[in-house]
Amino acid sequence: MYTHAFFFYFFSFIAIFSALMVITSRSTINSVFFLILDFISVGCLFIMVGAEFLGMILLIVYVGAVAVLFLFVVMMLNVAEQKQSWFMGKKSTHIPIGLLFSVLIFLELLVVVGGWKYKENLMTSSTLNMDKKISNTHEIGSVMYTDYVLYFQISGIILLLSMIGAIILTYRKRENIKRQSYFNQISRERSSAVEIKEVSFDKGVKIDD
Amino acid sequence: MTNLEVIFPEIFLTLSIFVVLMVGVFLKNTYSLVNKICVLIIICTGFLVFYSNETLEKIFLDSFIRDKFSNFIKILILISSLFVLFASQNFIKDMKISKFEYPILVLLSILGMFFMVSSNDLILFYLGLELQSLALYILASIDRNNIKSTESGMKYFVLSALSSGLLLYGCSLLYGFTGSTNFDVIQMELNSDNIGALFSIVFILVGLAFKVSAVPFHMWTPDVYEGSPTSVTNFFAVVPKIAGIAVIIRFMDIPFKNILSEWQLIVIFLSIASMILGAVAAIGQQNIKRLLAYSSIGHIGYVLAGIATGQQNGYASSLVYLVIYVVMNIGAFSCLYLLKFNGSYTEKINDLAGISKSKPILAFSFLIIFFSLAGIPPLGGFFAKFYVFISVIKSELYTLAVVGLVTTVISAFYYLKVIKIIYFDEEQTKLDQIKNLQTSSIIFISCLLLISYFIYPSVLNNIIEPIFMN
Repeated sequence: MYTHAFFFYFFSFIAIFSALMVITSRSTINSVFFLILDFISVGCLFIMVGAEFLGMILLIVYVGAVAVLFLFVVMMLNVAEQKQSWFMGKKSTHIPIGLLFSVLIFLELLVVVGGWKYKENLMTSSTLNMDKKISNTHEIGSVMYTDYVLYFQISGIILLLSMIGAIILTYRKRENIKRQSYFNQISRERSSAVEIKEVSFDKGVKIDD
Repeated sequence: MTNLEVIFPEIFLTLSIFVVLMVGVFLKNTYSLVNKICVLIIICTGFLVFYSNETLEKIFLDSFIRDKFSNFIKILILISSLFVLFASQNFIKDMKISKFEYPILVLLSILGMFFMVSSNDLILFYLGLELQSLALYILASIDRNNIKSTESGMKYFVLSALSSGLLLYGCSLLYGFTGSTNFDVIQMELNSDNIGALFSIVFILVGLAFKVSAVPFHMWTPDVYEGSPTSVTNFFAVVPKIAGIAVIIRFMDIPFKNILSEWQLIVIFLSIASMILGAVAAIGQQNIKRLLAYSSIGHIGYVLAGIATGQQNGYASSLVYLVIYVVMNIGAFSCLYLLKFNGSYTEKINDLAGISKSKPILAFSFLIIFFSLAGIPPLGGFFAKFYVFISVIKSELYTLAVVGLVTTVISAFYYLKVIKIIYFDEEQTKLDQIKNLQTSSIIFISCLLLISYFIYPSVLNNIIEPIFMN
């Protein structure tokens, strides 16, 4: 029990701390690393409440792909060297406006939380009708390919579209470069590539021009 | 599997997109071929939608809805995108943006709009919205060597992503307060006491208003319209607006039906602000695409005025307005395909000076379309405004009616100014002679529709009003 509480507070503390560091640290690369730390600790929290699929997906997708992509972008685009002149300077208008909007959104959140009303027949998580024998992943898969198959397919089309878009906007056909021709490579045979010369003794090699 | 025929048009569209994509990838220089196949696909899908049952049916756990309304909007989307593709073919070739992906992207965004107008669930609605806007971002920056086109795509992408974020925030609040993403359940759970849920309506309306470019979420419209190639602007100004307005009507009609008094004020504000800005900001424009952008903002204001009534006949009048708006805008943008100066397309209003002498037919088409946009009787645009104002007055929203009338008069100024430049100014630039049968026929059709509308003005009402009788 105490161990559980210890780990819970341990991971939550790291999550909150690294989330703060993401927005306050000066170097962009540090921010990305703190973001990765944040994802990992939230993933651990997910695993602790029994949502092991979500935790693993968070690690694989967000840490493995998205955060690494961020890191690439940050390193490639040289944004790491930008000093925060735009929001440290004297004539900066960003901070007051930003503060104003954050206060507004905070007030809105207060109203939303204050107006919160649970329904009479609210289903708590303990009464959820779940089969304890099958795993999380199995459970998600069993609805994803039946009830939510339409959403799943549309998401697939969206991914296809983003692929098409990336190709249209970035692919440039370059002339005068040698391309690999897979078909020619594979269909080459020994007889067409190698010529065996019979070399006789004591006469040297004569090459015809 | 028994009721799979409900979603048959969408399945057909998806599969044919995949096939035509393969055609484009494996054959060389296939723009013309792919374009023809895509036109064929649009026509076939149109027939599938037209001959499908009109009874209300919901599938996929009630998330996908098929009824008269969705069928009507789908056919409208298909016909208008067919016209846009047909009219812009030569322009696309001229501008050297004739990549085979162009018509495929149009088809993909049509697919997204199909899911949007058929959605009965927040998740499906959002997925459809993203599918169509993702295709539109790419279309906006398809002329990637032109810095303006790239900029407009980027601008549209960033601002649209922001508004999608707000929309999603609203959706999550709505889900939290009602416990479901299904529109029917949300309708039952929502009432005026639920303050938190009302916030979600604000956020959702912000997102939707952005997509149809209603003021104060219109900032992207003039820049994107100006920067994108004219053929893409033509598509932007017509087809996504249909889907956006349809989704707003769907939201007001199903999930937000019981809280009319809460959202009515917001929609009235959006409508009034759009009408005023559309009338005032267009006055000083020198670029005809920017002028049409502001004019479309104003027109969306009138459409929203019909929706603001919250009555079935108000929605019907909005749809009538929308159909006529589509006809007018297809005509107006098609005229731009015929304006060439020294081999490149011109967009300056001053270049139109005196073309009534060198190109009398084009000048006359401009005259009809711009008179109709201004709402001068007996052209189609007048009847559109007429029906909207009648339904607004019937539901006693007098401020809206007064503002609408005043802005109509103000906006008539800049439409008439263009007409004056065309007919009474001295010719300064000699525009090239272009023979373009496809584009001319589209302009002819839209002018003919606008002129002959007064012969039988209730034809659209007779089609649209039964949609809302249930």
